Amino acid sequence: MKQNQFVNNSDKQWNEFEALCKLDDKINLPLHFPKLYRKICNDLAIARTRHYSPMLVERLNRLVHQGQKRLYQTPKNQFREILYLVRNSFPRALYENRLMLAINLVAFFSFALIAFIWVWLDPDAVYTFLGQSTVLEIEKMYDPSGTVQSQERSGGQDVMMFGVYIYNNIGIAFQMFAGGVLFCVGAVFALLFNSFYFGTIAAHIINIGFSGPFFSFVVTHGSFELTAIIVASAAGCQIGYGLLNPGQYTRSYAIKNAAQKALPLIVGAFLMLVLAAFIEAFWSPRDIAYEFKFATGAICWSYVIYRLYKGMRYGT
Amino acid sequence: MEDQALENKSYIHLPEGVEIALTPVGLVARSYAYMIDFAIRAIIITLLSLFFGLLGAVGEGLALITFFVVSWGYNIYFEARSGQTPGKKRLNIRVVQDNGLPASFSQIVVRNLLRPADMLPFGYFFGLLVMAFNERFKRIGDWAAGTIIVYDEAFLERPILPSGISEVPTLVFTTQEQLAILTYAERSNTLSSERRIELAAILSQVMNCDNNQSEIKLLNYARYFSGHVTNNSAESHDKASV
Repeated sequence: MKQNQFVNNSDKQWNEFEALCKLDDKINLPLHFPKLYRKICNDLAIARTRHYSPMLVERLNRLVHQGQKRLYQTPKNQFREILYLVRNSFPRALYENRLMLAINLVAFFSFALIAFIWVWLDPDAVYTFLGQSTVLEIEKMYDPSGTVQSQERSGGQDVMMFGVYIYNNIGIAFQMFAGGVLFCVGAVFALLFNSFYFGTIAAHIINIGFSGPFFSFVVTHGSFELTAIIVASAAGCQIGYGLLNPGQYTRSYAIKNAAQKALPLIVGAFLMLVLAAFIEAFWSPRDIAYEFKFATGAICWSYVIYRLYKGMRYGT
Repeated sequence: MEDQALENKSYIHLPEGVEIALTPVGLVARSYAYMIDFAIRAIIITLLSLFFGLLGAVGEGLALITFFVVSWGYNIYFEARSGQTPGKKRLNIRVVQDNGLPASFSQIVVRNLLRPADMLPFGYFFGLLVMAFNERFKRIGDWAAGTIIVYDEAFLERPILPSGISEVPTLVFTTQEQLAILTYAERSNTLSSERRIELAAILSQVMNCDNNQSEIKLLNYARYFSGHVTNNSAESHDKASV
């Protein structure tokens, strides 16, 4: 068939189809739209095999592209997707990624324990790991006679610290997630660095006898914060591992798959960190009896451990 | 897979049994888009922090939160809405799924959260490296999310040819060959006349005419292929074509 004849035969349908594609998303399409779409796919294939002019091929190509966008539309309310992610997908993701999570949990706490015992037995080692200025700063922060956890702290400072925690901690979690893509290296490095840092400080604080202010400060928000960091690292590692060991899939498919599997984890970690930042800024620095703080800390830890256990065991 | 010789196109199989061609966007256009977005982000952050600067310690906290939200959320917000950030819109490019459909929210989140991996060790070095070694110019985040950046279809309209009569070819050309002739005609006013004749001369033997004529003939053919029929001779000669 000649090109002109071909165009004359179908031009009307093409124009109709183009007009339908341009309609507003909310308007329901007529029932024959899919049929029309298949017809145009067919026309495109014919135009290609018969070597019709590039302009015609281009036009049909564009029609098919517009049509498939219209036909296979993704649901518009995508913020509902996020809510679903938190309530349903996060626990399920904990279950699906349980092995990676367990490895990260063990790595974090065992590394922190090593650092803790090391510095506990050899108090001077803290200067090897942290440097003098950092140590002094931390000592000042948790000094029982200091001003950090007292009535003197103003509401404005609370808000400022909230900003710092949001910017800093969540930034770190996201960077761990991204770093995990590089064959897990970025995530693992950041995780072990943080766990070693944490272990070292904890031991040093005990050594100098400031344990009261320190542990009462960190216990409550630590439940969410430490767990979230581990979850973020596990999410990153999941992607990196997909790249390292794609199994029966191609690497490009494996990484895509792993990323979708890990996404609820990082979103969950994000929300946990927002909560942690809130607690750390507005609750942890309050100047109240340690018993209260340890009690709320215990409640938070049990809640986190309970949810983590339920998620990893049953996915609920 | 169609021949990709002349166009930088990526062919995607559809469940309907055909392939559609998308044009992936290369390093330069994407870098421009990024720079525009970067400037917009910088302006937003500067203005808001100047405002928050008046509020003391509370303002400092709010400024940090703004900084966090804008630097991570800017791309996610705009790309989730339409697949285009303001910078991408300026350059007529768009984020889509690997199969050409609009990207889903979760894909947008993945591709933007993985940005730091592309930024390592400095200035998007890994991202550029990965982009340079695949024909769809995907950075690491695009691989993980399953997205590509493509040119908007409407942007890819062909340029207008120099005016003149059109002529129905007596030979049969494949689409790729027709495309070569079209591209030749579109670029003809940027070439010197000697170069035009030299290029057209390659086909003079096939078209059975002398070197000077072949240039004119090719331009006439190109006008016919482009569908701008200005001459009524097109109809009468139709029998000879294809």
